Amino acid sequence: MTQLPTSTEKKLGLVIDLDTCVGCHACEISCKGWNTVEYGAPLSDMDAYGGDPSGTFLNRVHTFEAKAEGCASQTVHFPKSCLHCEDAPCVPVCPTGASYKREEDGIVLVNEDKCMGCGLCAWACPYGARELDQMAGVMKKCTLCVDRIYNDNLPEEDRIPSCVRTCPAGARHFGDFADPESNVSKLVAERGGMDLMPEQGTKPVNKYLPPRPKADVNGTQMPALEAQSEEITGFLGWLDRTLEKI
Amino acid sequence: MERITYRELRSTPKVWGVMALCAAFVGAAGLSVLYIEHHGHIVTGMNNQVVWGLPHVFAIFLIVAASGALNVSSIGSVFGKMAYKPVARLANVLAVALLMGGLAVLVLDLGRPDRLVMAMYTYNFTSIFAWNILLYTGFMGVVAVYLYTLMARGVDPRALKAASLLAFVWRLALTTGTGSIFGWLVARTAYDSAIMAPMFIAMSFSFGMAMFMLVMILTTSITRRVYSPELRTRQARLLGVFVAAVMYFVIVHHLSNIYLAKKGAYESWILLNGGVYTKLFWIGQVLLGGIIPMFLLFHPKIDTRKSYVLLAALLVVLGGLAQLYVIVVGGQAFPLEIFPGFEVSSSFSDGVVNAYTPTLLELSLGLGGIALALMIAGLAMKFLRIVPENLSDDNVDPSLLAD
Repeated sequence: MTQLPTSTEKKLGLVIDLDTCVGCHACEISCKGWNTVEYGAPLSDMDAYGGDPSGTFLNRVHTFEAKAEGCASQTVHFPKSCLHCEDAPCVPVCPTGASYKREEDGIVLVNEDKCMGCGLCAWACPYGARELDQMAGVMKKCTLCVDRIYNDNLPEEDRIPSCVRTCPAGARHFGDFADPESNVSKLVAERGGMDLMPEQGTKPVNKYLPPRPKADVNGTQMPALEAQSEEITGFLGWLDRTLEKI
Repeated sequence: MERITYRELRSTPKVWGVMALCAAFVGAAGLSVLYIEHHGHIVTGMNNQVVWGLPHVFAIFLIVAASGALNVSSIGSVFGKMAYKPVARLANVLAVALLMGGLAVLVLDLGRPDRLVMAMYTYNFTSIFAWNILLYTGFMGVVAVYLYTLMARGVDPRALKAASLLAFVWRLALTTGTGSIFGWLVARTAYDSAIMAPMFIAMSFSFGMAMFMLVMILTTSITRRVYSPELRTRQARLLGVFVAAVMYFVIVHHLSNIYLAKKGAYESWILLNGGVYTKLFWIGQVLLGGIIPMFLLFHPKIDTRKSYVLLAALLVVLGGLAQLYVIVVGGQAFPLEIFPGFEVSSSFSDGVVNAYTPTLLELSLGLGGIALALMIAGLAMKFLRIVPENLSDDNVDPSLLAD
């Protein structure tokens, strides 16, 4: 019987900073690339070069318009993948137990060898984060790059999810939410990280840092966040400073 | 008053003609399945937003109707209306046949039908789907025992009563399980309602009775046997009551949804602005599947108008398919509200009605399920003594029909 673990040793997940995400879709492409190359079966594409292309993606970037009171409206890019919920509704509905949540790190996975493609988990997920691979006939979803993060054959800096490694804006962060001293826990505490659709009661592990208003209705710019990156030195530092002056 | 006799259907061109027609549909469905398996589900209209399509509409219809067809038998054995007893054997066989047809469609439309065996040895008891696998397979076993007690000689009446009661309770559980697939879908605005289970039970009464009457009329017509007009009229009126019960549940379901703020947008969409789904609801489900059949079935001259009964039963079946299309596909087509109150746009179907256009392959698979059910029932009638030969009014004691 497949039951959700009452608690997990770790709570691995992502923090996605909606304030800095620029909607470049690099995370999406990187995810597709890694999982197509390394996955048991490629994430299929249909009519890829035709008039109506479609395909299987484990991470998708959505875009919407937001307007806080007294502020100018702004475009918010919203990357969405499986949120590895603590009370994941996709797990108990699976008739074969193919869908499961790992006790050791809280990652929600699909055992594709046990999946018969009934689609009920896709119905149960309130976030629409599951994708039936039309060619493979089985359900697929974000694995949090479980084949990277524990992979001793990779350099240590690469042992993070592909989307995090790729993000050019540094908007994606990976870590253990069970550890209050982890980078992700601190970020969530400092920036008011929030759950997606908390009213569903699924307790998603992944968190989103809300976008800050960039300007008020009069066009006054809001103060910038403290820089996260270290001061660049050497030739690149000189180049950066020179370009800033232009 | 003669004793009711049962005879196998004789081999006539009409009987084999109907069987051949069913076989043609089953063959076409088989070819469709092979095509879909070869090319993947991309050749169907289903996608990541609408994961269950037209085949599931047919499959669920047949599964629900199977449970209802058995009800015809239960009315005699459980509720003591002995006039229904002559048709109990056929009702049992038809129930199993309809379930087989429905399950065939459901299984063949899985992403990986070859993995069905997984559901048998890696079983997840927390899944309503897994419960239904037990309920469906168990239903066949229970009905088989019930049929044995009906057909075998010298069976203790208490055994018949016990078997019929078990079958009745099982069928209630089965339809509750099917309705609960939707009732327990908390994530979707269209579902997440406890009323789904009793509504599906009412639907099963209605669809099952309609399918039974269609099969009975078709069988007695092509074999020149008698279908007691008195019994037919009684069943027709009962069908009218079942149709009214379904309408009642539909009204209560939508009214209670309208009362809930979070479901208001969905109700407004499905009842007023949902395009094909709104049309299917009002024209298919309510008008053709509800109001017109009720008008026909409660017509004062229904006892002399077999055509009214035939038309009404056909409309109930079509209306039932429309109702399930609205429930299954309409519920998925309505977009997930991830950002309530925001204008959302992306290339991934955010904030827009999810597109679904059923393909001929899916229609062929669904019709194949109905044909398979009819073929199984036809073969059973051909080789088993389950259809009464002399079911005339004279042989159906009117006193037993009276309430």
